Amino acid sequence: MSATAVREIEFRDALREAMSEEMRRDPKVFLLGEEVAEYDGAYKVSKGMLAEFGPRRIIDTPISENGFAGLGIGAAMMGLRPIVEFMSWSFSLVAADQILNNAPKMLYMSGGQFGCPIVFRGNDGAGGQLGSTHSWCVESLYANVPGLKMAIPSNPYDAKGLLKTAIRDADPVFFLESERMLSMKGEVPEEEYLIPFGQAAIRRTGEDCTIVSFGRPVHFAMEAAETLAAEDGIECEVIDGRTIRPLDLDTIVASVRKTNRCVVVDQSWSFASVGSEVAAQISEHCFDDLDNHVHRVHADDVPAPYASNLEQEMLPNPRKIRSAVLSACYRA
Amino acid sequence: MAIELTMPRLSDTMESGTIIKWNVKEGDAVSAGDVVADVETDKATMEMQVYDDGTVSRIVVPEGKTVAVGTLIAVIDDGEESAAAPAAPAATSTAAASTASAPPPAAPAPAASVSRGAAIDAGPRMRVSPVARRLADEHRIDLASIEGSGPAGRIVKQDVLGAIENRTAAAAPPTRIETAVALPVPAARAGIAASTTALSAAGRPGSEVALSGMRQTIARRLVESKNTIPHYQVTVRIDMDPVLALRKDLNAQLATQGVKLSVNDFIVRGCAVAMAEHPFMNASWAGDRILLHGAVNIGVAVALSAERGGGLVVPTIRDADRKSLRWISEETRELAEKARTKGLSAEEMSDSTFTISNLGMFGVEHFTAVINPPNSAILACGAALEQPVVRNGVLAVGHEMQATLSLDHRVIDGAMGAAWLGTLKDLLEHPATLLV
Repeated sequence: MSATAVREIEFRDALREAMSEEMRRDPKVFLLGEEVAEYDGAYKVSKGMLAEFGPRRIIDTPISENGFAGLGIGAAMMGLRPIVEFMSWSFSLVAADQILNNAPKMLYMSGGQFGCPIVFRGNDGAGGQLGSTHSWCVESLYANVPGLKMAIPSNPYDAKGLLKTAIRDADPVFFLESERMLSMKGEVPEEEYLIPFGQAAIRRTGEDCTIVSFGRPVHFAMEAAETLAAEDGIECEVIDGRTIRPLDLDTIVASVRKTNRCVVVDQSWSFASVGSEVAAQISEHCFDDLDNHVHRVHADDVPAPYASNLEQEMLPNPRKIRSAVLSACYRA
Repeated sequence: MAIELTMPRLSDTMESGTIIKWNVKEGDAVSAGDVVADVETDKATMEMQVYDDGTVSRIVVPEGKTVAVGTLIAVIDDGEESAAAPAAPAATSTAAASTASAPPPAAPAPAASVSRGAAIDAGPRMRVSPVARRLADEHRIDLASIEGSGPAGRIVKQDVLGAIENRTAAAAPPTRIETAVALPVPAARAGIAASTTALSAAGRPGSEVALSGMRQTIARRLVESKNTIPHYQVTVRIDMDPVLALRKDLNAQLATQGVKLSVNDFIVRGCAVAMAEHPFMNASWAGDRILLHGAVNIGVAVALSAERGGGLVVPTIRDADRKSLRWISEETRELAEKARTKGLSAEEMSDSTFTISNLGMFGVEHFTAVINPPNSAILACGAALEQPVVRNGVLAVGHEMQATLSLDHRVIDGAMGAAWLGTLKDLLEHPATLLV
């Protein structure tokens, strides 16, 4: 990074810069989705892109996820590099056959004849009183499928660097953003950079307990870690996974070998989840290093409530994380 | 078929080993005799070979990790029957393989079996977190002696750390000794200690150094030596001018043959030859009897460089009384070089009957050494220093070396040690005798 003062931009601007830079760099890249063109994006992520790139590359689609996801996959198979925006990942469920049954399997099913270099991106997660059906955290559901990659940035810097990597990747990438973070500001340098997949970031170092998280809950983990340090004298090491597939197990294992305790924070439900996968991997690789079983903090095992107070209580939050760390350290 | 590789017992005293380096990775093909890993034992870093052809299917213990002898460290697939039973239950197939073709696993380390035995005997299953169990094994803490603070009495890391701390505190009674002596002394000591602490707090930060296997062995063996052997020392001055003159002549004459004798080579040879008349110097205390050794095997202490983690090893020059100076010189040089680069094998460091520690190259005048069990004596040599000496009643300038024997009084009495030193002095002051 250069020594010049780093500017701050919003998460949504970082996403747009990543897409625009890649579209300038590679004429095969294009964006399609609901309201991405004329309306500048339902969340203004693609603001101004229609004006720069024109209607052939910034394409408004009907409300038909199964249709335009399939269109994107076909284009990717023929060598283009589509970015498919889901207004919410909750809406991707109607395109499940395309995104789960076709995109990740195409390379295998065609015996290597057709790859599928496509990015599916959109808002993931609850937290805005959107009701059960529009509050999906799809990471655990989708990460189960081999053949796809999954990135889940927690800040504007990572959003840009990871999305550029996603667009250049040869495989389908599921890129999970958060409506709750789109206005978050963060330092993003002017000059180009990419963040490779499979490299977690250690957001805070500590000796007593490792907290592994992904996406928005990383901020809850950081908040809990500061409280634990101030109130309980427990120093947590907070790891931001950045990508779920591939998973940077090396960083996680090295940290747990140091701290001997681990809490995994995953905003999806606990059963057969990213959190349970990380816990299983830690048990496998760090068994003799563990001082307690891996503790997990998930969304509660219920559909997301509409009521704001219930919704906040259902999701992972700093209080739940602190409580889990205290328990993992036998301090509960 | 899966062949299990377990941590081998590479020396008699080895209880655990550290994988310093894997030379293979999962998926690599290996042939019988290939060196697959470097293993650090309590004595040295050694090469681990495989005895079967196959493919490395799994590396269980990563580099840098220490595990007990007999622990599974890797799995090799020899390619047989793998098509016939592709998804056979792992437990049965590996168990069958280990009895059929893998070398039998060595008996578990005594320390480990003690604590596991204790765990089984403690009535209801003892609950211990994995890292607490590992820490207890590493520090030889009996888990049965610890009360667990976790749920259902689970022994957790904090409990073992507490037990280690208590033991350390219990094993170090210096405060009581200080209060027992006259008052001003501890007061002064306390002042020094306090000011030192203040200084270091203001200056360079302290740090911790993890113990290598070698450092642990040095610590254990030397504490054992000092605690169990009644040491005493005897010193002589030896006129080294004759050795220095002979060495200069021989090295000049044999330079074309690559001979470069060191002063230490003469000392090794001298010590070995001196044993012929003094069998008790080449002996071991065995509790209910004394063993007089037939072979004269001289251990030579070699310091390792800080870059290689420092430490000290003692390669053995076997049958040094029957080897020429040239032979001793070459062998010493080769062993010291190997110790400093590749590391010595356990065999190259075992069976010494007497040890020499030489700090002459550092200009040291005089020091005493700690006996290297099961030896009964060790010789500490200073430098051959140029100094005023009296020769035949006349003051002259000559080279003298102080040689100090540390002796095990259970085996060797003062007069015996003094007599041996007299023989050594005589040999080194008339070094032509060392040539035949």
